[in-house]
This record gives sequence, structure tokens and C-alpha cells, in this order.
Amino acid sequence: MKKTPQENIIHKNFLPGVITKEGFLGDDPRHVHEIVNEDTRILARLNRTPEQVADRLQFFIEQGKKGLETKVDLGDYTVQIIWSRGLLPCPFEEPRLHHKITCTVEVKDLNRTFKYSQLSVHMIREHGFFGGRGSPFRLNPTEMVELLGA
Amino acid sequence: MIFKILITTAAMAGISGVLALLLVLAERFFANYGECKITINDEEEFTIEGGSSLLSSLNSQKIFLPSACGGRGTCAYCKCKVHEGVGPILPTEEPLLTEEEMAENVRLSCQVKVKQDMRIEIPEELFNIKEFESEVDKITDLTYDIKLVRLKLTEPKEISFKPGQYAQLNSKPYNGVKESVSRAYSIASPHFEKDHIDLMVRLVPEGICTTWVHDYLQEGEKVKFVAPMGDFYIREDEGEMIMVAGGSGMAPFVSILEDMARKKSKRKMTYFFGAVTKKDLFYVEEMRSLEERIENFTFVPALSGPEPDDDWDGETGLITVPLEKYLKSHDDLEKSQGYLCGSPGMIDACIKIMKNYGMKSDRIFYDPFG
Repeated sequence: MKKTPQENIIHKNFLPGVITKEGFLGDDPRHVHEIVNEDTRILARLNRTPEQVADRLQFFIEQGKKGLETKVDLGDYTVQIIWSRGLLPCPFEEPRLHHKITCTVEVKDLNRTFKYSQLSVHMIREHGFFGGRGSPFRLNPTEMVELLGA
Repeated sequence: MIFKILITTAAMAGISGVLALLLVLAERFFANYGECKITINDEEEFTIEGGSSLLSSLNSQKIFLPSACGGRGTCAYCKCKVHEGVGPILPTEEPLLTEEEMAENVRLSCQVKVKQDMRIEIPEELFNIKEFESEVDKITDLTYDIKLVRLKLTEPKEISFKPGQYAQLNSKPYNGVKESVSRAYSIASPHFEKDHIDLMVRLVPEGICTTWVHDYLQEGEKVKFVAPMGDFYIREDEGEMIMVAGGSGMAPFVSILEDMARKKSKRKMTYFFGAVTKKDLFYVEEMRSLEERIENFTFVPALSGPEPDDDWDGETGLITVPLEKYLKSHDDLEKSQGYLCGSPGMIDACIKIMKNYGMKSDRIFYDPFG
């Protein structure tokens, strides 16, 4: 599919070393739109929307903030956030910056841990983008529904 | 039929080619703005080749406006007033300007292109910001994720700054990262040691610049930075200074306290520093040394999640716990000043407590990481 000049600029933002060290696509050969479309379809089959997943992920960030980098025990989960200096733009080119917050959630019963950023939550909510396969903050939509009950 | 398709395809390709050529020619002849004069604060002026953004045109003349997003039009730090020589506000600027700012001709210098003579206004203190060339003198591990980097200045050879201000370090391309980025770090060295600056750099997950510092930067390497920037510095006063920091938020306070020690300040000063475990704690010996050199200075480190092996008998809990305990036992706090450096979450929590105990918001100063 041919890309518009704007899409070319946006695509560049997803590559390694532009906004983050490893970028947002990992080793996924698909176009951003294809990644979004497939993940949206998966979520729809599970009767969930990106907003619902983003709400749940944001809940953990808000709880984690209370810990000022110390682990916060939420019963079934523990959450810890690291809030680093600086701000990040969204690769989808919007006039807004996002705090460099990394959130680590541990699902106690399943002994599983996953990590994401404040920017990940924004991209899921506003663009339905969960990250390319193999990217550092890729969140698998099926796993998210399973782990978070989103 | 196939012949018709081939003819149509060839015709379409030909038309596209002609249009592309026209665009290139138009760019070459119509977008040639020639020399443009920029007048700053009705005092200084310089001439540049038009066509670039105002931000990069100013940079080319060694005038540096703060910028955190590399000219993407997202951080809004590079605002300045453009009184003449500019078109209407662009859609990329509108969301980042208030109505008052628009009325005062404030624009985003990274979005505005220089196409004709311009008359602009920028704050005087920004003229003190310079680009420095330096050499990495020493890199020291402070913790598992914070490094102290000493940069020896080569050109200019000296720097003047207020303790508490920051520098913007320019990274270099490395291992798949093709472009340089610029990131802000508070200066940790004393302002009277003018031939170098110290920066405390904490590794950010997926961070382009911090990964470069932690994994690629070598002693002896040449690096550039722009400084001094920021309005986080000491306001001279009589009241007690209550300082709070966490992680690399330690940096500006090292510079500030060394200045107070040199001045033989008698001001009462209490500094709360929060870490999770003992391995996140650093500069304790340096702070104890400052306690000996500054008459009324007390350092209060606190661990929020000490490990059993830490053998910690100091303050425990989030940094807000010892802070609140301290404020509760004092009155007359409205004369005190608060100085905070750390994550916005920590700063918000501390400001709330300080205000609860009577400290005035216009006497609380902070350098949020965001």
C-alpha cells in the first residue's frame, strides 16, 4: 500500500533511535496500520475495546505513582513505576508530550510480570496501537484481557 | 487492451514526473527567501539565509532557546515573541499557545519559518546560554543505574551558572541510533569550579541519551552541551531551606550546598533524600562532609523499602513521611522556603504536605523531571 508523505514521517517515528532506543515496531514487518487493525480485531472478538485496556493500565500507573518508585501491593497485583526525567512525543505526531513513566505490574497468582510506559497507554487509547511484535513495550491484547480482566 | 493499459500507465507516469519536476523547480525558485535580517529585542541583529525555522536560525547564531523535543513542535519550550515578519499562527502552534500568548505575539520558534526580515523578543537571560565543547574527564558509578559524568570544558574554557541550573547534553549516534538527541541534566558541580561540570545521569528504560551515556560514552571522548538553563536556583532569604529530592534529583543540591558551604552560610537547611533500598542511596559521605562544613545543615536520607540485609537504622517510609514528621514539629514555617527536585509525583506529594503545614506556595521552588 502506498503511503502519504505524512504517513512516511509517522512511520519514521516508529523506528529505533528516533523517539526511543529500540523504537516501537520490534521485528514486526507489518505496517503500523496493519498492526492496529489486527489487534483491534482481536480485542473485538474478546468483546473489549482499546479504551477499556487503556483504562485498566492507567489505573495501575495511578496506583504506582503513590509508591514514589516503591512497589505498591494491590492484593492480586503489585505495581511499581519508575518516573524518569524528560518527556516523550507520540510517534503519531500530536502536539502533546508524555511523561517518561515505566510501569511494572506483577500478577501474583500467575507469577507473571509485564511492563509498559505511559506512552503505551496513550497509544493504545488514542490509536489502538499495542506495539509491534518484539518491541520492548509490546502488550499482547489477548494476554492483557487475560491478565488484567480489562 | 494491453496496449491501452500500457499507454495509460506511461501517460500517468509522465504527468507525475512533470508535476514532480515542477515542484522541485518551484521549491528552488519560489521558496528562495534570500537573506533575512532578524532583530532581537530592538538591540541586536544578524542576517541569515531564509528558509529555516526561527529556532535553528537562532542556533546558527549561537543563541539557544530551550527545546526538549528537537523542534517537533510538541514541547512548547522554545516560545518567543515575534512582533514583525511572520504569518498567522499555524495549526501546529495553536494547541500550545494560550489566548494571552497569542495576543502578545508569542510563537513557537521551531514552527515559524524565517521568510523575511523579523523583529523578535527573547528574555535577556537566554543570551547567557552557550554551546560548550568538552571532553569526558571521568565517569563514575554512583549506583547501579546512576553515573556521575565529569565534562572538562575545552571551548569556551569556563562556564558561569547559578547553582541549581541545568545543561542540555547532546548525544552522538551509536549502534542503530542514527541521530543525535539533546537531553537536560542538572549540574552537580559547584559554580566556582568553572573549568568543568558534573552531571548525574540515571539510566532511563529505552532512553536514547542515557543508554549512550551508560553503555557507549568513554572517558576522553569529546561531547557538546548547551548551558546554563532553568530557573531552579536559591532565592536569597533568611528563612529555613527545606530541600527534598530523590534519585538523580540529588544533582542540583550538591551544587547548591557546595555554594552554601563556600559562603559559610548560617541559614538553617534540612535536606530530605528518598531512595528505595540502600543500593539506591548515594553521596551519603559527601552529605555528611557538608554537614560538618555548613553550620546549620542536616541531611536526612530515608529508605522506602529497605532490604533486610541493608541493616538500616535511619528514617524509613516514603520521603513524605520524614518530611511530614519534621514539618509537624516546627512552627513559623511561613518564613521557610521549599526546594524540590525529582519526579512530578514526588514533587506534588511534597508540595501538598508543605502547604498543609503553612508553607507558602510562592516560597516553594521545584525542578520537576517532566
